[in-house]
Parts: sequence; C-alpha cells; structure tokens
Amino acid sequence: MAAIIGLLTVWGGLQLHRHRMYKMPIVAGPGVTRVVRLSDYSPGLKKTPGDTNVFFLEGKEKGGTVLVIGNTHSNEPASLLTSLILIENMTVEKGTVIVIPQFNYSGGRNTRPGDGYPLYFHIPTSWGEKKFRMGNRDASPLDQWPDPDVYIHYPDRQLLSFLDVRNTNRTWPGRPNGPLMERVTYGAMQIMRTEGVDLAVDIHGAETMFPVTNCIVAPEKSIRLATMVSLTVKAKEGFDSHVEPSPSGFRGLSHREIGDHSDTLPFLLEAPIPFLDQPTGPKTEKLLLDGKDPFLLKLAAKQKLFVPYDEEGWPMSKRVGQHCSVLLELMRQYSRKNPDRAIQVTNVPAYAEVIQNGVGFYYHDPTEADKRNVHYN
Amino acid sequence: MPLNGNHMSIQSQTILILVVMCAAYALAKRRKLSVETSILAAAVGGGLAGAVMRIPPLADLPRHLIEGGFTYFDVILVFTTATIFMAVVSASGGVNYVVRGTIRLFFNLRLIALLVLMIIILIPGALTGAGSVSLLVVGAPTALALGYLGIPKKRVAAILFLVAGLSAAAPPVNIWAMIVSAGTAIPYVGFELPLGIPVLLLSTFSVLFLGWKRTEKKALAEVLEEMPEPPPGMSGWRVALPFVVFFGLVMMYRIWPFATPILGLAMQFVIAAVAAWLVSPVRINILILSRDTVKRLLPLLTTMVVVGMLQQIMTATGVRGLISFLVISIPVVILFISLAVIIPVSEGLLTYGGAAIIGIPLIWFLDSIGLHATVVIAGLSLLWPLGDGLPPTALIGRLSVLVTEYTGSYWSFLRTTWIPWLVITIVGILMVVFSAKLDFLVRWSM
Amino acid sequence: MNIIMILYYILCAYIAFLLVWNFIKEKENKDHMLHYLLVLVPLVLRLFRIK
Repeated sequence: MAAIIGLLTVWGGLQLHRHRMYKMPIVAGPGVTRVVRLSDYSPGLKKTPGDTNVFFLEGKEKGGTVLVIGNTHSNEPASLLTSLILIENMTVEKGTVIVIPQFNYSGGRNTRPGDGYPLYFHIPTSWGEKKFRMGNRDASPLDQWPDPDVYIHYPDRQLLSFLDVRNTNRTWPGRPNGPLMERVTYGAMQIMRTEGVDLAVDIHGAETMFPVTNCIVAPEKSIRLATMVSLTVKAKEGFDSHVEPSPSGFRGLSHREIGDHSDTLPFLLEAPIPFLDQPTGPKTEKLLLDGKDPFLLKLAAKQKLFVPYDEEGWPMSKRVGQHCSVLLELMRQYSRKNPDRAIQVTNVPAYAEVIQNGVGFYYHDPTEADKRNVHYN
Repeated sequence: MPLNGNHMSIQSQTILILVVMCAAYALAKRRKLSVETSILAAAVGGGLAGAVMRIPPLADLPRHLIEGGFTYFDVILVFTTATIFMAVVSASGGVNYVVRGTIRLFFNLRLIALLVLMIIILIPGALTGAGSVSLLVVGAPTALALGYLGIPKKRVAAILFLVAGLSAAAPPVNIWAMIVSAGTAIPYVGFELPLGIPVLLLSTFSVLFLGWKRTEKKALAEVLEEMPEPPPGMSGWRVALPFVVFFGLVMMYRIWPFATPILGLAMQFVIAAVAAWLVSPVRINILILSRDTVKRLLPLLTTMVVVGMLQQIMTATGVRGLISFLVISIPVVILFISLAVIIPVSEGLLTYGGAAIIGIPLIWFLDSIGLHATVVIAGLSLLWPLGDGLPPTALIGRLSVLVTEYTGSYWSFLRTTWIPWLVITIVGILMVVFSAKLDFLVRWSM
Repeated sequence: MNIIMILYYILCAYIAFLLVWNFIKEKENKDHMLHYLLVLVPLVLRLFRIK
C-alpha cells in the first residue's frame, strides 16, 4: 500500500515539478531595444520568484509610453499570447511600448488544486508546436506563504479574501516591502512613475457567465478614450468590446489603483474564456483553445451568458485578435488627441489577421533565432 | 462534427463518469470501508472511467489526485495546530477551570449563561471565518458548561453545530462570501448588517430553543461537586494568557495590518500553544499530546485530502460542470425552493468548493434578474454552514460530536437540529428572494 | 525565504513526523494506515517544495 502511494506520489510530483521548472523561450523581435528586470524598479523583488522580464520597445522618435501587462492571471492565457505577439513582431516608430508578458511570474509556475487544469497548452506554428505552461490565478504558496486569515488591502484597509494576498489584481498599488505580490505591483507602479507611462493596459480573460466580460474596464479618467475605442472597433472591425466603469469601492484592482495613484490612464481588457466557466464539460486543452462547450451552448440558448455564443465557441485567435485590435486602437486614439505624446507602432496584426493566420503564425522558432535574443522566463 | 452532436456525447460521458463515481462509493461502503476511503474510491473510480475517454489521460491521473489533495492544505494545518493548542489548554486544566467559573457565576441566571456561552462560540469563528476554529478553541469548555446547565449531550452537540456554523457566516470574515465576492467581482463590503443581524437572531433562537429546557435539576453545590477539580496552581491568568496571545495576534494584524508580519492562523495557534504550555501548572509532554491529537483528527484530515481529490477529478472529467449546469438550468421559482437542498448538499460534498462551483454562477444569474447580490450572498451564507453537518464531509457536525463526546448515532444528533435548521433555511431563502427590498442593510453598513 | 515561511516548513515536518509515528504504531487497521499515508502526501510534497 505504502509503495503504491509512494509511486503515485513520485509520478504525479515529478509532473508538477517539471511544470514549475519549465522555462518558456521568448524570441525578442526587431523592435525590442532592451530587456530589464522588474526588480530594477522594485528592489524588494531581487532574487525572488516574483521577479520577471520587462521588454522595452523604443522608437527613434520621442513620444508617449504604453505599458502592456500580460499574465496578471496566468490562467487567462490570451494575455500572454498577445504580449508575445507584440514582443516578437512589433516595431515602434514613435514613443515607447513596455511589455511585461508574465507579470505574476509565480502564478505562471503554479497550478490550481481542485480545478483539474491541464499542465500545458500548445499553439501550432509553422515550425512545430510552441509549448506554454498553464498557470494559476494566484501566486504559488511555494513563493509566498502563509496567507493571512483575511487580506487587508494597502492602503485602503478594505477586507479582501485571504487568497487575494497572492492575486496581482488585488494587490495594487503595492508596497516596496509588503508581501511578494505587493512588491510586484509596486514595481509596475514605479515603471509608470519613472518612465512617464501614459497608458497602462492590463490584459485578462473572463468567464462568459461573468457580466464584466468582453469589455474594456476603465475608471472615470480613462472612460472617454475607452468609449471611443469601443465604438471604433465595433464600426471598423465588427466585434463588440463594451465599456465597463471601474467601481470606486472595490480596491486593489489595476483599473482602479493605477488611476488613483499615478498620472497614467489605466485600461483592463477582458475577452471571454469559456474554459474558466463553472458549468462546462471536461477541462481539456481543447476547451481552453477553442472555447467550444455544449453546456454553455445550452445556457446561451436560455440567455444565461453575457456574450454571444454559438457552435463556433470562442477560439483563442478571436480572443487574442480582439486584444491586439483594442490595444492598437487605444494607441491610435490617444495619439490623435495628444500628438506630442503619440505612440506609433507597426507589425502588430489586427483582429481579422489573427483570426485568418492563427496565433502561432506570429511566433518565431527559438532554435533558429540568435541566442542573444532568446529570453527565458 | 457539429457541437450539438457532440453535446450528447459529452453529456453522456459525464453522466457515465458520475455513475461510476457513485458506484465506486457505494461498493466501498458495502465492503465496510470508511467514508474517507469510500470518497477516495469514488475519486479513483471517476478518474479511471474518465481515463477510458482520455478526460484526463491515464498518465495524468496520479497528478490530478495529488494536486487535488492540496485543495485544503492550509485548512489541514489550521485544524491540526488549533486542536493541539486546545489539547494543551485542556491538559493544563484550563478547560475545567473555565467551566467551573462559568457555572459558579451564571448557574442561576440561565438566559445570561446561555447567551454568554453563545457569544463565546461566535467570536473565534466570526474572526477567522471558520466554525471549526470556534469548536476547536472553545468547543470543549462550552460543551461541558452547557452540559452542567442540564442540557443533554445530544442537544449540546446540536447547539455547538448550529452556533459554530453561524459563527463562520458572521462578519467580519465570511469565507463563503469572500470566495463568491472574489469570483463575481463584487466588493466584500457592506456585509456587516446583512450577515450580523440574522446570525445573532438565529443563534439566539437556536441556543434558547435547544438549551432553555433543563432536563435534570441539580443544585449548584451538587454540580460543582461532580465537576473535576482544576490542578493546584491553576488561575485565571494562566487560562486567559494563551487566548490573549491568540486573539492578540489576530487583532494585531487587524489594527496594524501594514506593520504586522503575516503569521497565518496556523502559526498564531502554534504561538498560543507554546504560551499555554509555558504557563501550564502541570508538566505536559507536548510530543505525545501532539501525536494523540493527530490520531484523533485523522478522519477530518483525511476527509480534507480526499474531498480535494474528488473535487479535482470531478472538474477534470466534467462532472462538476454537469452539476453546476443542472443547478443554473432550474427555473427561478423552483430554484429558490431548491436552494434549501442545493446549497447545504454542495457544502456537504465539497465544503468551500461548493461556494465556487454553484455560488458564483448562481450569483451572476440572480444579479442579472435584478436581485441584490450582496444580500443574496448573505442569505446563502446562512445556508452553507448547514451543509457542514451533512456527509460525506460533515466537518462541523463531526467536530461538534467530537468535542461534546456524544456517543449516540450521528443521525440522532443531526435530527435534533431540525427546527432551528428549518428556521435558518427559511430566513436564508427569504433574504435571497427579498434581497432587493433589504438593500438598506448594505447601505447602513457602509 | 523569510523566517515565517521557514517556520511553516518546520511545522509541516513536525506534522509529517507525527503522522509517520502514528502510521508505524498502527498495526491493525489498514483503513487508518491508508489515511495516514494520504494525509502525508501533500505534506511531503510541500516539504520537498514540489507543490
């Protein structure tokens, strides 16, 4: 009996260990001018599992600055895939784009007990499959332990669930010496303050049964720009991404705290991710990537979902394409209103192109790339 | 293949896996295996049935089982350390001392005695969000005190179960509400009155209904004679100090959250246990005491591990999704009535997992039809603790029986709770149905 | 790793030791022996920093 349990534990434990240790290559494209560490802005992160790569893509001409944050929640992978498209392809003509593809790095190396996720997902490319870790919403307890009995948000003292102490969309604006995840969000706040960031875009995914999905969440100061973007993508590209106001009484979220604690205009992008809905069939890699689920289809017929849902599901290319287009439109609209702080970029595919080519089309083979341009995180 | 064609197959697959899970559980029970081993059998059976259809593949099954075993890892640590703490207090004679004191002071003031004991049970659970902490910390002494007030053990266990359950729902910390709030992006604010008022009223009702009648009449002197004498040297401060240390640590983080290091409940209990050990007037072998405590806790600890495994397999195979789908497909009026069963059963099956699986989609749905989400969550929070008395987990129920040392059948204990159970259910459901009219409670809280 | 986290690992090791002790002492009840091993699994994996 002991031998069987021991064997199963070693078997399963090895799989979990390999997942935690798996390093995903990112090929820095021609637009990347430098790669720094988040700990350069938040020294409390040095030599901790909270530290992560920050990619700078700087234009020849001076202009505005955008910060793009992926994998705040590492179980919402469209954000990471979008960030990688930017890093591997985008060139910046004017201004600066800063991309943090794996913001909650510890969460990306964590799994979610009780929720039965696959450990990895694979995106097909012309040179083979690119393998990604499927992470968790919260940082790993191996990196930040223990949790308090209740998390008290800094600085507002709002009581949040104990789990939220490891959730980098509840620990904003963070502290230099707080719990590890507060040091992570503090690092991003410092980037915004020291680099004069104009726009901060935090990319997420949300359940189809969640009212705040398929939308741009924006506080008062960003809502005009968000509305313009929402109307434009609907008219020009034919997809919905409505605007949701950021609630002022709910603390710790990026779209609330960034705006309240800096001059930056924050936006949080949500695209539907049926995989995270509770009433779905098996939690397979296929469901994660194509978003097709028969239970959700039935619920859609009963009008219990907050997004249109048909037999096509909600494929990854559609979600990533939406994020790319909304991001491009945000930069375009902001540049039009603020010519002295304009941000001009090229080589970022829009919605229709991502759907047509697939997400993997935009990723480069790390074995073929110059080793100096391959970054592991 | 069109999705509708697939639908039947996925639905059939998940139903088939669910049937295999139930069959494995039943078979294990028939072979006289314990509840915990039977839950494990259900998880493994479901996983193997799923593996036939590669949901999940067989090679992933061990990983799913051990990963699921982590779902309630922190709860396991808290249970263990809290019980060791109380075992030290008990071994030092502190429990006997407190019970004697309470009886001597309030023996002839029954109403006050009952209400004081109720408040004592409510506080630890309200502060930590776990009714189990209430029972582990103050369960044993209050059970003894209630016993000496002439209440039979079965009723004492029922009182502890109901009040400890309600203490977990009480503000400021309600973990069900926090899980659902976090999952639905509803701020965890404004819960003080919608939770506090019903919890106080329902606790008072439960305590008075079950405890008012004195079954055996004895004089105070006679009762004191029967009670064990605390060891020489035991005094008020020796009993109080470990509790002051524990609550002091809890309150310190509340008062100075940004200057206090995060200790976590488990370490707070360890520190309190060390304090209790240091001030004990009798020598305690901490190693033997901890070993015996772990032995006593084994069924509960195993339950936490195997329920996590079951939950993981249910999700990976789609069985959890099927259950969630069926719940939110129920028409609204029937849904309101069936909450009385759905919510406690989901808690009994999955403990806090039930709040995530059923609570989150339910709140999204009820919010979209114009109900007030905060009051709805508060109403449901009254129903969730009832499920802690239902198998297979029955965490609070089993702990109540354990600390009371009630030796009768579990069902006879559970039957005793039926009238307060019914009243709590009715209040909870009415709060959900009339949540929009009760929104003033939320406004007044803020 | 901070001091509180180290204390938590020591706590896990202590509980794991108690479970092993009880497991060795338990010679009769196979069900209980299985339960000790099951509760040990997450504790051991945490101690080895696997999960």
